[in-house]
Amino acid sequence: MRKMKSNRTSTIVLHNVFIGVLAFIWLIPIIWLLCTSFSAGSGMNTSTFFPKEWSAINYVKLFHPDSVAQFPQWFINTFIIACVTCVVSTMFVLMVAYATSVMRFPMRKPLMNLAVILNLFPGMLAMIAVYFTLKSFNLTNSYIGLIMVYSASSGLGYLIAKGFFDTVPRALCEAARIDGCSEARIFFQVVLPMSRPIVVYTVISSFLVPWMDFVYAKMILNAGISSKYTVAIGLYKMLDKSLINTYFTQFCAGGVLVSIPISILFVIMQKFYVEGITGGAVKG
Amino acid sequence: MKLTKKVIAPVVAMAMMASSTVCVSAADEAIELTLWGAEEDQNLLKDLVAKFEETYSDYKFNIQIGVESESTAKDTILTDVEAAADVFAFASDQIYDLVNAGALANLDEYDAAFQQVVGKSLDDVRAANSESSVAAATVDGNLYAFPMAGDNSYFLYYDSSVVSAEEAGSWDTLLEAAGKAGKKVGMTLSSGWYNAGFFYGAGFTTSRNADQSTNMDWNGISEKGISGVDVVKSMLNIAGNSAFQAVADGDLSNQINGGGLCAVISGTWDAQAVQGVFGDGYAATKLPTFTVGDEQVQMGSAFGYKFIGVNAYAENIGWAAVLAEFLTNEEAQTERFAARQIGPTNLNAVSSDAVQENLAIAAVIAQSEFGVIQEVGGKYWDPTATFGENIAQGKLSADDDEGIQKALDTLVEGVTAPVE
Amino acid sequence: MEKQSSHSATAAVGGFFKAIGRFFSEFGTAVVQGDIWVKLSLLWMGAGYARRKQYVKAVIMTILEVALILFTVNFAMDYVSKFSTLGTVKPEKVFNMQTMKNEWNDYDNSFQILLFSLFSFVVWFAAFIVWIKNVVNVYKLQKRAEAGKHINTFKEDLRSYKEEKFYVTLLTLPVLGVVVFTLIPILLLIFVAFTNYDQNHMPPSNLFSWAGFSNFLSLFGGGGLTVSFGYSFVRVLGWTLVWAFFATLTTYIGGILLSLLLNSKKTRVPKLWRTLFIVTIAVPQFVSLLLVRNFFSNGGIVNTICNNIGLTGFLRDIGLISTSYIPFLSAPGWAHVMIILINIWIGVPYQMLIATGVLMNLPSDQLESARVDGATPFQIFRKITMPYLLFVTGPALVTDFVKNINNFNVIYLLTENVYTTTNQAMANSQAKEVDLLVTWLFRLTQDYYNYKMASAIGIVVFIICSAFTLIAFNRMIKGDKEGTYQ
Repeated sequence: MRKMKSNRTSTIVLHNVFIGVLAFIWLIPIIWLLCTSFSAGSGMNTSTFFPKEWSAINYVKLFHPDSVAQFPQWFINTFIIACVTCVVSTMFVLMVAYATSVMRFPMRKPLMNLAVILNLFPGMLAMIAVYFTLKSFNLTNSYIGLIMVYSASSGLGYLIAKGFFDTVPRALCEAARIDGCSEARIFFQVVLPMSRPIVVYTVISSFLVPWMDFVYAKMILNAGISSKYTVAIGLYKMLDKSLINTYFTQFCAGGVLVSIPISILFVIMQKFYVEGITGGAVKG
Repeated sequence: MKLTKKVIAPVVAMAMMASSTVCVSAADEAIELTLWGAEEDQNLLKDLVAKFEETYSDYKFNIQIGVESESTAKDTILTDVEAAADVFAFASDQIYDLVNAGALANLDEYDAAFQQVVGKSLDDVRAANSESSVAAATVDGNLYAFPMAGDNSYFLYYDSSVVSAEEAGSWDTLLEAAGKAGKKVGMTLSSGWYNAGFFYGAGFTTSRNADQSTNMDWNGISEKGISGVDVVKSMLNIAGNSAFQAVADGDLSNQINGGGLCAVISGTWDAQAVQGVFGDGYAATKLPTFTVGDEQVQMGSAFGYKFIGVNAYAENIGWAAVLAEFLTNEEAQTERFAARQIGPTNLNAVSSDAVQENLAIAAVIAQSEFGVIQEVGGKYWDPTATFGENIAQGKLSADDDEGIQKALDTLVEGVTAPVE
Repeated sequence: MEKQSSHSATAAVGGFFKAIGRFFSEFGTAVVQGDIWVKLSLLWMGAGYARRKQYVKAVIMTILEVALILFTVNFAMDYVSKFSTLGTVKPEKVFNMQTMKNEWNDYDNSFQILLFSLFSFVVWFAAFIVWIKNVVNVYKLQKRAEAGKHINTFKEDLRSYKEEKFYVTLLTLPVLGVVVFTLIPILLLIFVAFTNYDQNHMPPSNLFSWAGFSNFLSLFGGGGLTVSFGYSFVRVLGWTLVWAFFATLTTYIGGILLSLLLNSKKTRVPKLWRTLFIVTIAVPQFVSLLLVRNFFSNGGIVNTICNNIGLTGFLRDIGLISTSYIPFLSAPGWAHVMIILINIWIGVPYQMLIATGVLMNLPSDQLESARVDGATPFQIFRKITMPYLLFVTGPALVTDFVKNINNFNVIYLLTENVYTTTNQAMANSQAKEVDLLVTWLFRLTQDYYNYKMASAIGIVVFIICSAFTLIAFNRMIKGDKEGTYQ
């Protein structure tokens, strides 16, 4: 008996050690990011894993902007864009998801098929056309233009939310309808309150888009005015051939600073993601 | 769906009508200009622009300075010429693509305005700058840009505590000295800008046709009687030496900081980094010779300039031209040198003592004798980069004449392919 | 995507044409049997409403009609009339010494002509539908009036958008956004594939024009413009498919394994472990990937370490490498493997989250009874867990595959400006061994302004993706799944 128990303990230890090793491998680059961000040098250190000299100078520099690095300003810009994008995208996604999930109307199937087809097209290619569309409305180099790019087509990403709404018991809606509720009230007062996971999931994931994108942002904010950048382009430009040597450690520090709030959001989202996705994404 | 359709039409119609009405601006408003320069130049540009506004204080200006690296200016400008800055800095190899796309203003058309405002003619500008820099800025007899910097080329930095000045004269002795000290000699081979130095040195050429395609004779025998195969063999011997380090394009300054190099082929932009690493041993000179058969052949180089050009679609194009000239005149070039150790093209500025004493710039000037202004089309870069990478990785064998000839033929075929 | 796939595509297409037929027959009946006001509505869209005393609606329709006419005359015709040539007038200018400005002629911009023509077509198409719908509606009103039924006031009409027509309220803005920012751009690029829009034909200074199928010909090696375009296309396509297959499969399996590992009863503090893994996806990709690329670069830290511990020397001795460094991201083969490995690094935690969500929903009664029957954990996994996972995540697997075909970020961030191809034939057409079709077409547009070829490639990507999706969905999804959860 005792032997068996110790056997079990040892497998548990082994099991957890194995996970620990995996987690360690997964975190190596992140650890390197952290270490490099606390390096006293400015270029890339290619000879040792840990910096030769430790210092928080990169973080100090980030908050004392020069003509290249205006991190606080970028952070504010991105935050504003992210907030608006988040509101608009979430509304669009939930509206489309609700309409296609709960309501029945003649154009429903063709619209859904069209959405599937549009999602198959490589979006990169449409970029130049989007740019010139914005330009003809004089919306390039403006945050409104960028927000439109991030959120206008967001309705196409409705599938996960629709999958979730599909799991809301239809009987509840019917009952509300018999009570004389309007469709609008059913949406706001019956279905939405029951769908907290998917709402949180949609809010967070659309909030994150502007923090991650550098392709569209680079194209639309093309006046070269550094104080108007978002965090993503600002940091991306620090790795320019002529700058990488003076800004690499600052890039790392910036990367860490951006990652902290996003990581927190992700950890919060984790729970809702898992709940939302169970009803949603997996069903396609 | 009905409402959707009902809404689209009027919204679009209104918006379209709004955007199609032309705005007329008042005549006495500030003159709006936009200017793009490199990240490192931003503070300098701010000073110069302030001086410009002072000089023409009768007029009101609103000049916005943006960041666009000289090396990528073309890519950003050609994506949307009309959105690009009115005045921008760019590297000289981009001039053909920019002219071809109609992005650069032909400055000769504004000569009269120029004389009226600045009080000098374009001929004065031509005379003030070095002949070759003006030639590089001229396409089909017209001046398309103002020369700003004359050091866009590469030469040899070495650590004189490891390598003697004599040893730095040829690749063989250089690599031997480096090998003895356990250090390496760094050079970028995977770029048509750097690796062309060997071919230009051996007397090979490249040129550009009116249809933007490129001519190249590297697979034949040069006017100096050297065959392309022999040049490649020599390059393979250098690349195969254990004291040689092939550095990826753009990774040079990183490698310099790494501290493993005792000599490196780079340009003035790395001067400060090299100085920091080599310390008292810091030295610079022309490129070394390389061995073909039993002959020593001086390495050539692709010689380039940095220009400031005017956007052909600039709103206030006359003033844009005036500003562009102001940013490249003798005073501005002197100031640029003082701030960033960038070699001028202005003859007076070049002859100043400070410039003459600068080691790196002296090396550029020494090498410029063997420099070639690289005239190539867009199809040149990818194939030559690949060719250099193949040499760096030792994918070709120095004994395999046939293989080298075949590789050269493929290279030439790719570079000279018609532009579709 | 659900129902029609089981009926096969033909049924869907048939149904679509039937719907169109019904649409037009309704219109025909309305025109023939309608009274004079209905017929007048063909010209004056507000007529029928005015007759039924729906004055607000009548005014709205009239304004709409006027706006459409103004739009057509003032805007659309300027561009649509040049659609067949895509413009003929090149820019010319005269310098005005007084203003220090150029005075330009009224020149054509081919791209604008194409874009705004498409815009006009979409608006006209919408207007056409509204016009037909309008007549049908007016006829319905006439019928109601004849039958003496109640005719809605404007207020009642408005309220219906909160009630049975609530979907219209919900969908209007999202659909409008998709039309302007996705549909029209895609249509535009489809058209560009049939033009000669490239470096020598770039607006505004130059014009481009229609070129028929010549771009597709040269893509498939028939046009003879560039010898190696067809060659590169096949190579790039091959790697794109290999990449999509492995990237999807490895992260999928890895995700399931990791979530099984973390959800095992033996795991202590599973929440902490899960959070640690999630941190890697929380770091924005442009940071983490650019970092990893420097991590593994030829002169990077990993190479230094490998060199110090003698691994580089060992690999060179056994002939795996010929360079003084390990070309993790700079030689074919090495780079291919590394890219897939790095993708596992960023992809597995994501799949782990999804798998965790699915595994929580495992039918527990089945598990219990299997356990009672004495099944081993492996048997349970093979017979119950895996089939369930496959059933539930199957469709997601298909969309993941398509996403990976178009996975721009990973490849671009890891290889752009770093990877130099050693294949001369590919270099001659600006492709690299590690390119996906999307990164290749991105480089063609960004560095070479070769929009026509990029568009042609884009269309091919689209055809591949849709063919794959259609086949996969038809095979995988049987029956209507919407109902299973309701």
